Amino acid sequence: MKKIKIDRRHFIKISSLSSGALAIGFMVPGLKELGTLSDDCEFFQPGAYLKIDKKGKVTVFVAKQESGQGVDTALPMIVAEELDVDFKDVNSEIAPYGTMKEGEHDTGGSQSVLDMYNRLRKAGAIAKAMLISAAADIWKIPASSCAADMGEVVNTVTMKRIKYGDLVCLAAKLPIPETVVLKNPKDFKLIGKSEKRAGLTNILTGKTKYGIDLKPEGTVYAIAVRCPVLDGTLVSVDDAAAKRIPGVLKVVSYKGTGAPMHVRAGVAVIATSTWAAMKAAGMLNITWDEGKNNKESTEQLFKTFASKAKETPAIPVYKKGDAASLSGKNEIAATYAEPFLAHATMEPMNFIASVKGDGCELWGGLQLPDWAVNTIAKDCGLKKENIKVNLSAMGGAFGRRLHFDFAIEAVRIAQQFDKPVKLLWQRTDDTMFSPYRPANYHALKANTDGKSKIFSWEHHVLGTPVAYKTEGTDTKNAPEMDGADAGFCYDIPNINTGYTGVDFNINLGWLRSVDICVNTFPVESFVDEIAKQLKQDPLAFRLSMLENRADFKIGEGPGAMTQSPKRVAGVLKKVAEKIGWNEPRKANHYIGLATHSFIFAKSYAAHAIEIEMLEPKKFRIVRVVAAIDCGTVINPDGLLNQMQGGLAFALTQTLKGEITISDSRVLQDGFFSYELLRYDEMPPVEIHVIESTEEPGGVGEVGVSTVAPALCNALAAAGERPRSLPIRNEGFRWV
Amino acid sequence: MPKFTLNVNNKQYTVEAESDMPLLWVLRDLLDLTGTKYGCGVASCGACTVMIEGNSALSCQRTVGSCVNKSIITIEGLSEDGSHPVQKAWQKAGVPQCGYCQPGQMMAAAAMLEKNKKPSEEMINTVMSNNLCRCGTYHRIKEAIHIAIDEINK
Repeated sequence: MKKIKIDRRHFIKISSLSSGALAIGFMVPGLKELGTLSDDCEFFQPGAYLKIDKKGKVTVFVAKQESGQGVDTALPMIVAEELDVDFKDVNSEIAPYGTMKEGEHDTGGSQSVLDMYNRLRKAGAIAKAMLISAAADIWKIPASSCAADMGEVVNTVTMKRIKYGDLVCLAAKLPIPETVVLKNPKDFKLIGKSEKRAGLTNILTGKTKYGIDLKPEGTVYAIAVRCPVLDGTLVSVDDAAAKRIPGVLKVVSYKGTGAPMHVRAGVAVIATSTWAAMKAAGMLNITWDEGKNNKESTEQLFKTFASKAKETPAIPVYKKGDAASLSGKNEIAATYAEPFLAHATMEPMNFIASVKGDGCELWGGLQLPDWAVNTIAKDCGLKKENIKVNLSAMGGAFGRRLHFDFAIEAVRIAQQFDKPVKLLWQRTDDTMFSPYRPANYHALKANTDGKSKIFSWEHHVLGTPVAYKTEGTDTKNAPEMDGADAGFCYDIPNINTGYTGVDFNINLGWLRSVDICVNTFPVESFVDEIAKQLKQDPLAFRLSMLENRADFKIGEGPGAMTQSPKRVAGVLKKVAEKIGWNEPRKANHYIGLATHSFIFAKSYAAHAIEIEMLEPKKFRIVRVVAAIDCGTVINPDGLLNQMQGGLAFALTQTLKGEITISDSRVLQDGFFSYELLRYDEMPPVEIHVIESTEEPGGVGEVGVSTVAPALCNALAAAGERPRSLPIRNEGFRWV
Repeated sequence: MPKFTLNVNNKQYTVEAESDMPLLWVLRDLLDLTGTKYGCGVASCGACTVMIEGNSALSCQRTVGSCVNKSIITIEGLSEDGSHPVQKAWQKAGVPQCGYCQPGQMMAAAAMLEKNKKPSEEMINTVMSNNLCRCGTYHRIKEAIHIAIDEINK
C-alpha cells in the first residue's frame, strides 16, 4: 500500500480490494514453507486460513488481531461451520505475519467478521469439498453420494464413515475446486450458538502471552522519558545519576517524528530489569526545547470551539433541501461538548524490537501491522522484507494499537543496542502521551412546525480531527466530524451539516466507536430535547421519523453502505418495550432512550436507562436495557460480552472520562486522575438481540455510543439536561 | 546485588535483585512468572494482585526484601490446570475479554473467599472495586463470584 489514509474509508478500501481475490489465500507467498503442499503429508492445508492434521485436529489461522473482542473464537467458528467439524477439534492460532495479503491483518472499525465471513466460509467449504472428493475416490462413488458430518465423510449409500484425519494425505494431492457450494444458513449448526473463548484456560491460568510478557533470548528492558510537549526536541541530557543505578546498560536518545505517528523526542534507559530502567529514568535530567506550541490548553480550546461555532462551518459535509431559508421559525438551538479521551488499555503500551545490521525483528500487538512495517521500514531505512513481525495478543486496544508510535520508538532504541529491547510505557506515559480521541463541540439548530415535526436540522461539528496529525491540517479526511451526514437516519426534509477543524498541539487517534461516539451524544440528546419542547413522547417522536422511511444507500459502487431507519427503529422499540416505557413509573424514577446505527459495521443498537433521582443532580442507575441488531450472529456469548463491556466503557466516558491539557501538557497521569468505571459502579444490564438473517455485522463498537445520550435523556426527564461529557463536570453525582 | 530466597507457588527460588525491587518485577523479569500483570505500579488498578501468606497483596507495592520467608501464590500457582473454584467459575461465566486484568481479579476474589466463604455484597463490592477492567467485564465477574461462592459452600 502506498500512502495509507487510516480511517473508516481506509477499511472500506481494504475490504473492497480483497473481496475480489481468491477466497482462501492461495496467492500468499511462503505457503510452501507453511507446509501446504507438504510431501510428507503431516497435514492438509488448503490455503492460509486453516490446516487439518492426521488426527483430524483443525487449526484456524486468525488474520485479525485479538484484543478482547473475540475474533479468535468467532472467525474459527465460521470455518468450522462450513467444514462440518466438532468445534472442540478446532484450535485458534494467530496467523503469522506475512502469510496474509497486505491489509488483511488490519483490525479495526468492527470489520473483522464483515471482512472475513465470506472468505472463511469458502475456505471451510473448499477444504470440506476436497476431503469429500478424497473419500469418494476411495469408495469409488461420486462425491454427490457423500456427505460431511462432524469431522467425518459419510457414504450416504452404505453409511460407512471415514475420519477427516484419515483423508488428509489424499485430499492434499487433489486439485482445488474452482467453485464450491456454501451451506444454506438455515442449516447452520455452529454459527448462532454460544462458544466459550478460544484459549480461555490459558487466560485463566496466566499462561496467555501478551506483548508485555514476551522475552526473546537476551531481552533487555527500556523505559523512555519523552518531551512533555508534542513535536518538541531534545537539547541536552545529564544521565550521570541514572547510570549509577545498578543494572543500567546504556542511556540513548532518539528524535521525534512528524506525521503520521508524531513520536515524541525521547531519552531511554536500557537496563537488565524493568525496575532498574524505571528508577534510572526517573533520575535523568533533561532539557527540552518545547517549541512554539507549548501554551495550549483545553480551556482555551473549548472557548475557541464556542466562538467558531457561531461562524459558518469551514467544510461542508452534507446538504439536503434548504435549511437556511427556514431559519428563525420555531427554532431550537443547543450546544454539546465532549472532551479528549485516552484508551487506557490495562496492558500499557509496550513493544520489543531487535535490530541487527539491515534486519529487524519485532514482537508485540499491532492493529495495523502492514502500515507499521511500511512506516518503520521507511523511517529506519530498512527493507520491509527484512522486517520480521511476531504478532501477539493485546491486553485491550480499543483503537490504541491502530497507532504504532511505541513500535517506532522501540526500533529507534534497539538500533542503538545489540540485543532485543523491550520498551515499556509506564502507566504515567500511557496516560500522558497517548493519541487521544479528539475533543469535540456541536452547535445544533432545528426548526419545527411548533407541533410534532422537524422541518430543518443544522449541525456544526467542531473538533480536532485525527487526520490533522496523521496527514496534516490540509486534509479533508475527517470522518469523526461528519455529524448529521448522508446516512442520517431521521427523515427530515432540510439538513445542513458542516465541520470546522481546529489544530491543537496534542497527538490524536481513533477510539472505539470513532465517529459514532462523537456524534450520537449530541444528535440523540438534541432529538430528545426537541421532543420535550414540542411536548411529544420521545419514543413516538423518534419513531415518526424512522418507521416510514425506506432503506437508502449512502455513496455509490461496491463501497456503498445501506442505512435502514426501520432497523434503527427496531432496536429502539425493543428497549422501550423491555424497560416498560409505557408502564407507570415509580416516584423519582426516569427513563432515557437513545438509538443509532453504525452502518459501516452493519449494526444497530439502542439503550434505555432507568435512573432514580436521590437528590437534585444525584442519581442511581436502576437498570440498563440494550438491544442490538447486527444481522446474523456468529457467537452470541461473544456478542453479549461486547455489549456488556461496551456499557462499562461508555459509562466511563459519560460519567468521568476526561483528558485535560494545560501548557500543552496532559494533566492526568494514571488511574487516580483518569478514572475508569469500577466494579461497584456497574449497573444491572440486560441485552436483547434482534433475530435476523441479514448478513453479519460488527459488534465491538456499536454498543458504546447510545449510553451517554440515554443517561443524559433520563437526567433531562428528571429536570436538568447535561450538555457536556463527562457529566461529573456539571455537578452530577451518582451512587 | 543482594540475593533473596523466595517461596513462590510452593517452590524455592533464589534471585539477585536490588532490595527495593517490587515483587512484581521479580516475578515477571527474573522468574518469568508473567501471569502477574503490570498495570500501574501505584496501587490503583489491582492487575498485579497475588497472595502473600494467604492475604491479597499488590505485588507492585511489596519489595522483594519484604517477601523473604513468606508464602507467595501467583495465578500460576492458584492451580496449574484452572481447577481452583474461582478459575472454574470464571470459566463457566465466560468472564474474560482481553483477559489481561483477570489474573489480578481472580487472585483478589480467591483471597477474599479464603477469608470468608460467604462474603456480603458490600464486602464483594469493596474488595473487587480495587481491580480495574477496561473491557468492562464487571457484570460477569459478579456472576462468577456468585458461582464460586455457591461451589465452595456446597
